[in-house]
Amino acid sequence: MKIEFTLNGEAIRVEAPASTTLLQLLREHFGLTGSKPGCEVGECGACSVILDGRVVNSCQLLAPQVDGREVTTIEGIHGPDGGPSDLQLAFLEFGAVQCGYCTPGMVVAAEAFLRRHPSPTRAEIREAISGNLCRCTGYQQIVDAVEATAARRRDQAEGRGE
Amino acid sequence: MTERRYVGRPAAAVDGLDKIMGKAKFVGDYQLPGMLHARVLRSPVPHARIVKLDVTPALAVPGVVAAITSEDFAGHSLWGWPIQDQYILAYQKVLYVGHGIAAVAAETHEAAQAGIEAIELELEELPAVFDPARALEPDAPQVPLESPTGQGNLCEKIIVRYGEPDPILECSEVLYEGTFHTGRQEHAYLEPEAALAIPHPDGSVTVHYNGQSPFINQIHLCQVLGLPAEKVRVIQPVVGGSFGGKDDLGYQCSGQVAGLALKAGRPVRLVLGREESMMASYKREPMAIRFRLGADAEGNLQAAKVEMLADSGCFSSQSTLAMLRASLHAAGAYRYRAVHVDTQAVYTNNGFSGAFRGFGNTDAAAAIEQAIDDLAHRLGRDPIDFRLQNCVRQGDRFMSGNVVDHEVKLAECLHWVRDRSDWDRKRADYPARDGDLRRGVGVACYMHGSSLGGEGADYANTTLNIEDDYAITLTSGLTDYGQGSRTVFTLVAAETLGVGPERIHMLRPDTDTALESGPTVASRSTMLGGNATRVAAEKLDRLLCYAAASVLDCTPDRVARHGEIYVNPKEDEASFEEVVDRARQMGLTLSTHGKWSMPHIEWHVEHGTGTPYYCYTFGAQVVEVEVDMRIGQARAVKVWAAHDGGTIVFPQGAYGQMYGGIAQGLGYGLLEEMTYHQGFPQALNFDEYLIPTSLDVPEIEATYIETDFPEGPYGAKNLAEPVLVATAPALANAVFHATGVRHHTLPLTLERVLLGHELRPSRGETACRRALGFDQTKVEVIWQT
Repeated sequence: MKIEFTLNGEAIRVEAPASTTLLQLLREHFGLTGSKPGCEVGECGACSVILDGRVVNSCQLLAPQVDGREVTTIEGIHGPDGGPSDLQLAFLEFGAVQCGYCTPGMVVAAEAFLRRHPSPTRAEIREAISGNLCRCTGYQQIVDAVEATAARRRDQAEGRGE
Repeated sequence: MTERRYVGRPAAAVDGLDKIMGKAKFVGDYQLPGMLHARVLRSPVPHARIVKLDVTPALAVPGVVAAITSEDFAGHSLWGWPIQDQYILAYQKVLYVGHGIAAVAAETHEAAQAGIEAIELELEELPAVFDPARALEPDAPQVPLESPTGQGNLCEKIIVRYGEPDPILECSEVLYEGTFHTGRQEHAYLEPEAALAIPHPDGSVTVHYNGQSPFINQIHLCQVLGLPAEKVRVIQPVVGGSFGGKDDLGYQCSGQVAGLALKAGRPVRLVLGREESMMASYKREPMAIRFRLGADAEGNLQAAKVEMLADSGCFSSQSTLAMLRASLHAAGAYRYRAVHVDTQAVYTNNGFSGAFRGFGNTDAAAAIEQAIDDLAHRLGRDPIDFRLQNCVRQGDRFMSGNVVDHEVKLAECLHWVRDRSDWDRKRADYPARDGDLRRGVGVACYMHGSSLGGEGADYANTTLNIEDDYAITLTSGLTDYGQGSRTVFTLVAAETLGVGPERIHMLRPDTDTALESGPTVASRSTMLGGNATRVAAEKLDRLLCYAAASVLDCTPDRVARHGEIYVNPKEDEASFEEVVDRARQMGLTLSTHGKWSMPHIEWHVEHGTGTPYYCYTFGAQVVEVEVDMRIGQARAVKVWAAHDGGTIVFPQGAYGQMYGGIAQGLGYGLLEEMTYHQGFPQALNFDEYLIPTSLDVPEIEATYIETDFPEGPYGAKNLAEPVLVATAPALANAVFHATGVRHHTLPLTLERVLLGHELRPSRGETACRRALGFDQTKVEVIWQT
């Protein structure tokens, strides 16, 4: 069936079987392989994307459900120059990346959270990424990276306000 | 000592940029023109004879291009290391639920599935055995086709013999006896197994597999494909976690896609789904560990006798070697006058067990550290005081009888976690509390033998080559599946050569371009690969120094460095590029090879004596828990951890290992247990097998206490596995402190803490059969009556 939606800022019109999941559509039709299949039952969060500002598991949505809506994948998250964003650089700086399989979903979940919660506590950050499983890092350095990015964004916003 | 520029300084993982951008390509992300999709027909029963297996009907299914069984391989596809008892696809019998029987390659996933369903399979169910103790009885159904010991289901027997503990135990003033059980843990790497094979016109094949040890994979592939090494190339792609878990099943997947690709003449990819991965893959072995410990009236440990029984499941896999390590750590990091250990690994039809981070010591430490805690409690001693009194120090003997000949900072680790956790106050205050929420603190400490030790030949190779654009290419036979060794090797090479890390580019491990370095296991990469890299870099540095001396018109010993700039005593400068150009003009070959081997040690397996490891690492952890007495839920509140790891090369990576190891240890201690009911796994996905989330892992305060270890690269020792082993017992000891009840069985699930036993809602075989697609298949199972 015909689906029209916004994908990483671009208006998209695509024909897809009604039974296709959003994850399949992203990976197989658009070649956007940053969203990962990890469990395909909505538990691991490796397939996280931002749908109208909120994080969702793209394996749990049928593609037609995004009709008329706005989807941002990891490929749509970057700095102004197309390179890594401040949050992505903080993941590197704080050692929040090991095997890298959960990383795109984790970055997506953290970015969506930070846009809505500019001054989070560590406990709130833990809550926000609790739908994203990571088997390598024990989460601590991911929390460090998100916390530092929030602080830097606040500093920057205040600096601009002066 | 000159100040280090890269080793021990903050650094970013060298392969991190692609990962944070979502650009890193895992095997499941590859798209090749003409690539076929594979599916594997798996056993729906735990033990059966294959009466009929015919794949020709699958070939009639539209879209199916090739189908294979064990008959399409050399030697019926037999392989295995150290014991050959596995097949790429089942031969004669299936031994567990999920055992691969046949494989199909087709144009689409759907066609492959239809092909699987068309295969004609007839199984005659055989009596199965699920209890390891029962498996040892002479009339138990035999699991392997051939018993490696000639004694039925006994897979391996391991002994440690240091002195004579019996007479000492007889006259010990304090005698402790206790038995502990540990659970079967799933690795739960976020990326399931995936393999891609590309055939070539000359009959050779290239396999991309997301494992740990491409050279080991190559050896097995050559054997089952009947091809020489030059016709089998294995490339290691980006790997989404492994933790010891992507060996055996992955070698099966590699063989399956290689067999299919050679038959089809087209690339074939197999990507396992989570249910298939959890069903078919191996786990950490469950163990029963029985202690007799003796101490004198002052609380000095005297002797230990340990008996261990491990469920290896239907293949030996790495159980024999993991049990060797378990045996060599069974009595813990303490001084004894005599220790005997007797360990048995046993075949059953419960899936299979294999390598998992900690490799036997995770289980052994979980048991001995609870036993020691129990003993301290009976003696009325503080658990840390008791450990400090008995823990090994330089010049003592380990529990295996060999002398502790390197510096040991175990006591320092214990002091650090005691101070940071406010241990003394909490130990005194918490037991006085009652009510629904109770707090407790528990400690555990450990030793961990470094690298392979008595498990095998122990060396690694690195090559360095300066390219035309002045970049430096590094190869190693050791691989990075997330633990950070690519970054460690890059930093060691940069430090030794005096060049920026961004100049160094490490190639993907590839059997065609790197040199064989043994398996990437046993936390050996930093020591072995780091030293091999240092050796290669020193050789290259000496060559460049001749060229620099030539440019700067002085003798090589007068050449100094300011960053990448070469300087002579007159302060004349030469850039790295100028020096490289001169070296080439001089005819110097700017490629070097470094090999480093662990110093030789001897462990006599048959006698249970000798020196099992050249060196060891040590550490201690304290876990604080809160137990909700109403529902039996224990929650970790905070963890303090100290590890004696020599020099830390890549701090972010090292702390990441520590935090991640602790998270896995918390899962092992609290949440994670893969149970089997009549051979059927009781969890197949993350909605049933729970691993710690960011809300289950508390804040961790950790440190590395530097030890003097001159043999390591810049003094580095190992850390990836040992940092995990103390967490579960420290947690169990904290629950004991909080509740006054010792459970003797891990994990400490709600029902164990609340009721003292487990609830076993068995859900039978339906879920497994559904996940395997057996609702529709023509498989005929002649059920045993």
